Amino acid sequence: MENKQSILTRRDFIRGTVGATLGASILGIPWSNGFGDSPRSSLVTLARDQKAMSDDMVVDQDVLKKMLDQAVIQFTGEKKIKDAWLAIVKSKDTIGLVSTSHLNPTHQELVDAVQTALIDVGIPREQILMAQGGPDKVKACTVLISLPALKAHWLTGIGTVLKNYIQYSGNPRNYHQENSAKLGEIWNLPFVKGKTKLVLVDALHPLCDKGPQVDPRYKWAYNGLIVGSDPVAVETVCLKIITEKRRALRGEPWPLSPPPLCVEAADKIYKLGTSKMEEIKLKNFGWTQDLLL
Amino acid sequence: MKGRKRVIIIRLLLKFAIFLLIIMMILLFEEASAQTDEIQINLPKTVGKWTKPDSAQRINSQNIFEYMDGAGELYLGYFFNHLDVYEYTAEKANSILVELYFMKTSDDAFGLLSLDWGGEPVSLTNSPITESMPTVAPSSRSLYGAGLLRIWSDNLYVRVMAFQETPESKEAVFSLGRTIVANRKNPPQPKLLKILSPTIGSEWMLRKDRIRYFRSHLVLNSFYYLSHQNILNLDISTEAVTAPYETVTAIGDRKQVQFLLVKYTNPDHAQSALDNFHDTYLPEQNKDTFGGAKAESPHFYRIEDGWVGYNKTGKYIALVFECPDQETGVMIFNKIEFNLTNLEDDHGK
Repeated sequence: MENKQSILTRRDFIRGTVGATLGASILGIPWSNGFGDSPRSSLVTLARDQKAMSDDMVVDQDVLKKMLDQAVIQFTGEKKIKDAWLAIVKSKDTIGLVSTSHLNPTHQELVDAVQTALIDVGIPREQILMAQGGPDKVKACTVLISLPALKAHWLTGIGTVLKNYIQYSGNPRNYHQENSAKLGEIWNLPFVKGKTKLVLVDALHPLCDKGPQVDPRYKWAYNGLIVGSDPVAVETVCLKIITEKRRALRGEPWPLSPPPLCVEAADKIYKLGTSKMEEIKLKNFGWTQDLLL
Repeated sequence: MKGRKRVIIIRLLLKFAIFLLIIMMILLFEEASAQTDEIQINLPKTVGKWTKPDSAQRINSQNIFEYMDGAGELYLGYFFNHLDVYEYTAEKANSILVELYFMKTSDDAFGLLSLDWGGEPVSLTNSPITESMPTVAPSSRSLYGAGLLRIWSDNLYVRVMAFQETPESKEAVFSLGRTIVANRKNPPQPKLLKILSPTIGSEWMLRKDRIRYFRSHLVLNSFYYLSHQNILNLDISTEAVTAPYETVTAIGDRKQVQFLLVKYTNPDHAQSALDNFHDTYLPEQNKDTFGGAKAESPHFYRIEDGWVGYNKTGKYIALVFECPDQETGVMIFNKIEFNLTNLEDDHGK
């Protein structure tokens, strides 16, 4: 009976006891309420341009480059694009670009734009690796730039930032359903921890329903890039956009189901960043129509 | 004596041979029947400017995760046989993907379509399909939106998707859809749906667009989250249907009661599921009160988001969630029980 009481149910979400129940069951780690009294702040920048894609959803590479430059400059606070990138990576770094090919793939144009930007600031081409895949891929890198695409997921609720490193676990199926709460632990693996200097979400053409396969009715031209270094804060912004889009589509609340456990757990258990919108400093520039934030 | 024994042995051998022959004929017939669906779906080599490969990519339960990652859990949550995939390609145009999901029953193919009633209903046959005994669920068998055509056709669930919607690709998608459904049977919707009433009392209206038919707790969680664990003991042998009943208050607020009905293989299976549900979802509630979960009468418990209630009738369990009061729950259960009686009578005929 006691064991059954620690199974996570809908009631935990209503009561606000998700953390306690998860902590007592699958995580086996106490759920804290944050980082004590110390105030937290994470910067997330959002760049949008209505012309980033044509009506046929073809990416305009010039517009995309401009958005990328703006986003990185705003994020780093530097004035020149070269200084901005060199505030993120060093010339000796081996840089892994971690894009996704699943469900709603990262636009190749974005991967190419980042690669070109790095080469332009003096990073040798051979030091830039495509690092999506198993643990060996990440072990070869000193710096990671995470390039997920904005999307929901039918087993984990949201499948954007935190889930983007699932292959690094070597056992991705261990992180579905309730165990999706543990996605944050992958970011703390010794060969992953601390390497992510930039999370750059492809929000050009997001997918707001969770699938399990793509239904184009739930994709829309958001024409955005979301940038930060705090993966939880960036995921929280992504979650807000998806939630608001779903509400707008249906004209009534349409919550993600199953609920995304991984975001709050990444904050409260794995201390990867903040999952509270009020602790996120959001800088957005460019196109503001249907911002959803 | 020896001669008589020999006759008996010969007769036994003959009977055994006939028995073997019958078994072989049955097996051959079943194999032929299984192949019939594939023979009927004779996809064209070209449609518009698109051309298909010579053979399909065959996906089964062993390699489904390689094809679609965790999405495979959805199809394995129903009676899945196999999937054939064709990608029609063309120069200077995006592909058209055809996925033919061969399910073991028509009900399972219906269940996949029922997961989303959105999109534009389309007719792919010249003669409209008429249900001899319609349920309250939407009657659509084909739904289209933004380049994706989804079809329920007998034991087949189909997704035909143009990666870029254009007038030309839309016509090609529809043409493929018409070919796929041609000369196929159109069995009725699952009988279990007949327990749903369009209204309860004068206030509560069924949200027909949210009727879902399924067998797996993962599928249930994808539209109404109860628990990541399988607390209702759902499995491939069970059938379930869920939908909300909705009312609009005088000030325009919408209120919903989520209704769920599960059919188990037998009353014991249902009882054990109900015990598990009660112990997990309502651990603080004493189920022994008034005969407890074993009593075949409605039970209601006040929890954080309203009243939760359940009612076991033989191998069926009906549940309500987020119910504003017990009276509404009783009304729903009474109506469902009445429909269940009719459903069981129909089965007996």
